[in-house]
Amino acid sequence: MKKTKTIFQEGNHKWIAIVRDPAKPNYLIDTNEYLVTHDGKGLLLDPGGAEIFPAVFSALSSEFDPTALVGIFASHQDPDICSSLALWLEFNPAMRCHVSWLWSGFIPHFGGSADTFVCLPDEGGDIPLDGLMLRAVPAHYLHSSGNFNLYDKVAKVMFSGDIGAALLPPGEDGLFVENFDRHIRHAEGFHKRWMGSNEAKRRWCERVSQMEIDMLCPQHGAIYQGGDVQRFINWFDELQVGVVND
Amino acid sequence: MTTALATTGNKTPQAGADLLRIVRINEEIKSVVNVAFKINIMALNAIFLAKRAGTAARGFGVLSNELRVFSQELRDCMASLTGLVYGCVGEVSRMLQDIRYTRLLRQAVAMSPVAQLSAVLAAREIENERHAESLGRQRKQLKMALEDAFRMVELGGVLAKSAKIEAAYGQSFAVPLAQVSGEFDGIVEEIRVSLESLRRSAFFAGK
Repeated sequence: MKKTKTIFQEGNHKWIAIVRDPAKPNYLIDTNEYLVTHDGKGLLLDPGGAEIFPAVFSALSSEFDPTALVGIFASHQDPDICSSLALWLEFNPAMRCHVSWLWSGFIPHFGGSADTFVCLPDEGGDIPLDGLMLRAVPAHYLHSSGNFNLYDKVAKVMFSGDIGAALLPPGEDGLFVENFDRHIRHAEGFHKRWMGSNEAKRRWCERVSQMEIDMLCPQHGAIYQGGDVQRFINWFDELQVGVVND
Repeated sequence: MTTALATTGNKTPQAGADLLRIVRINEEIKSVVNVAFKINIMALNAIFLAKRAGTAARGFGVLSNELRVFSQELRDCMASLTGLVYGCVGEVSRMLQDIRYTRLLRQAVAMSPVAQLSAVLAAREIENERHAESLGRQRKQLKMALEDAFRMVELGGVLAKSAKIEAAYGQSFAVPLAQVSGEFDGIVEEIRVSLESLRRSAFFAGK
């Protein structure tokens, strides 16, 4: 079963990370799921692949009533992001899935109906969660061509999807980045290969530098917090991406 | 314990094997359709040949006509078999998906006994049963349609053999008529063997 860790709490407003399943087979890439709750309602960010649904569901339900989930935020269209969608919808068919308009015809192959999807325009937009306003921040081409991060300005937490992701070896897979220089080596190859556009990367770095972010939470690897957030943005800004040794 | 809970694990290879079997049945049916089309053309040529042979080949001409009708009916029969096969392919595919979802839901229930999730699993199992029953019905329909096709082909075999006998009365046309009727007989036998192998398919051993 995956572990849960509350990474932010202020009254009835929480961010819970669902991470690190020791029983997960090695051939599946490890993923982090995040649950944002506010006033008893929940939004699940990148709920993960179908194969890890049992682990995510059980971990989530240990912390939160899953019937109070109102929606899913899918940063992009990959199978490790949301191929479990049909199972979540089987549990609660009324759940909505917020996703880039670009993928609104593709993700239904994982499940859902015409009523399921709330399409995000390229410029992003607000996603309300029972009085809390979350913000879908454009991160197109990083790595998907229709890609969003999710920003919570109250918690100052940014869910960054694949941006900031790292493929961590056993023994170095803590939930938070502890030594930036050592950690970032595990992120470098990932970003060079998976991020497709230097121009898009520059624009993202400029955009998020102006935001107040205490925690940058990627879908793989460890969470950047405090000074490591800006350290990461600077590192990413310098990195040449879209590189493949073919 | 309900069926899906009891059998999800070992149903996957069964459903996968069923899908492979039904795909093979479909391929065999496609080859029979091609052959049936050949009979139609051959029967048309045989009718012309019988006309040229005149009164001596009148019986052969009648049988050639019957064979042409047979080929058309066989093609219609194969078209309906194809429709049934497509239905079975769809149902087996749905069952494969059911099995995966049920497995994942079962794991989730085992790890987290949330009452609502157990209800979802129970609903999923009812749905699984519905798909299994639907596949059972379609499997029976396909088997019956295959039996009908087999009986029709046996009749075609009789027609082809009668044509062989009639060819012997074809006087100066006896040799070409015998050749054509021999080809008929060979092709109908080929179809009979195909359908016989389909009847024995392990797909029909399932419930």
